[in-house]
Amino acid sequence: GLVMSCGHIIPESPVVALGSNFTAFCILNESCLDFGSIYANQIIWKIKNRVVPKEQYHEINRTVSSVTFNDTSSLVDPLTCNILADGQIEQNIYGISVTLGLPPEKPTNLSCIVHQMLKLIYPMTCTWNPGRHTFLDTHFRLKYRWPQENFPDCIPKDANNSCTIPDVQFFVNLEVWVEAANALGKAESDPLILDPIEIVKPLPPHNLSVNSGILPTVLKLSWENRISGAVMKLKFNIRYRTIGDTNWMQVPPEDIASPRTSFSVQGLRPYTEYVFSVRCMKEDGVGYWSDWSEEKPGITTED
Amino acid sequence: LGAGQSIQKTYDLTRYLEHQLRTLAGTYLNYLGPPFNEPDFNPPRLARAERVPSATVDLDLWRGLTDNARLAANYRAYSRLLCYLRALDGQAATAELRHRLGHFCSSLQGLVLSIAGVMSSLGYPLPVGPSVPPGSQGVVVVAPNDFLKKMDDFWLLKELQTWLWRSAKDFNRLKKKVPPAVVTLRLEARGF
Repeated sequence: GLVMSCGHIIPESPVVALGSNFTAFCILNESCLDFGSIYANQIIWKIKNRVVPKEQYHEINRTVSSVTFNDTSSLVDPLTCNILADGQIEQNIYGISVTLGLPPEKPTNLSCIVHQMLKLIYPMTCTWNPGRHTFLDTHFRLKYRWPQENFPDCIPKDANNSCTIPDVQFFVNLEVWVEAANALGKAESDPLILDPIEIVKPLPPHNLSVNSGILPTVLKLSWENRISGAVMKLKFNIRYRTIGDTNWMQVPPEDIASPRTSFSVQGLRPYTEYVFSVRCMKEDGVGYWSDWSEEKPGITTED
Repeated sequence: LGAGQSIQKTYDLTRYLEHQLRTLAGTYLNYLGPPFNEPDFNPPRLARAERVPSATVDLDLWRGLTDNARLAANYRAYSRLLCYLRALDGQAATAELRHRLGHFCSSLQGLVLSIAGVMSSLGYPLPVGPSVPPGSQGVVVVAPNDFLKKMDDFWLLKELQTWLWRSAKDFNRLKKKVPPAVVTLRLEARGF
């Protein structure tokens, strides 16, 4: 091109919403006007070396020409401003790169779960629907607060639809919401008001042991719970099957719907080997069932 | 939240704090080392320890307070205890102990907010005036030597345990007085 820059385009490197309209301006330097007797009316706009129809041009004054695209979907990189001086070859004045994309949609379907990790560590993972693809660098933040206390945002590491807060507090209502932001705008999900104690998935009971009882139709199960009674009272499910059988049977839930660390399973067949497994959840049924515990075998005595 | 639900959550939180403190205090006193972690260690209360809100009260007097006054006393006490606790949890040696102290600190802050929530759901005004230690502008004066620093920590944990023990009773009693999910009239304010 000309050794000396003879003009520039504004906006410089725009981010433009797909399907919207967009106008750019090419501004010639006065110095070039005198030097090469070039004027705005000689400007030719191109997108990727394809000439833009002249109907989209508008001569603002002798040094400024604009071009307008009613639907940016047809806009392709780069957009260049060129000049065709009298009898000369076409010269490029300036070019810009136009980034097309969409503003973020409002994140939806926000839901959270507290996975008990250790006895006293309760991270909360929230997931959401991030909405349509925006074709732009879009940042998501999980925000949460108490009525008079803001906490540091949770910034997703390598996903745009989930984040894990390392340690949450129980028995205080928490307001949680998601913010999505890119160059074209910002959107926030509806807030979720929750008490983390009500969305806990506890660790399954462990150290399950099975002991035969006095009766040949009874086996006594014992286990250890891994969440303290001060945090939540538990209820249980117990399932069992005979070795080799794939169908599980369950102890009636109402029989084990209260805090305990053992239970005697009755109505079993004498001199038969069974496999047992236990799971737990909050006694009032609010929250999530734990995974099933490891399976433990046990054999009833002879009749 | 309705008053009943708010009180229930505050009660549950107080019990949860008691549970955390039960194991946390033992671990922290072990970290402080002898004589602080010896079961029969029962030092006289030094003047310095007076600044930590004492949980020792005349029970009849305490029971005779109005619900509003008792909640306000709890609110002020935990606001001040929180200041001291924050000064304590900064230097604890192990990362695990620091994490647990941090978690406990957050829980205690939740309790201050919860008590405020109960007070507003019952139509009581929050206590006006500094909830930080008097004359300290929120800055906890560090003890002149290591032993006295540990003594401060010892008394802080001791008082906290007693406050939480009594607060659980306060909220349990209040829970029974306030019917669940019923519009609570500010009876007390109208002198009924």
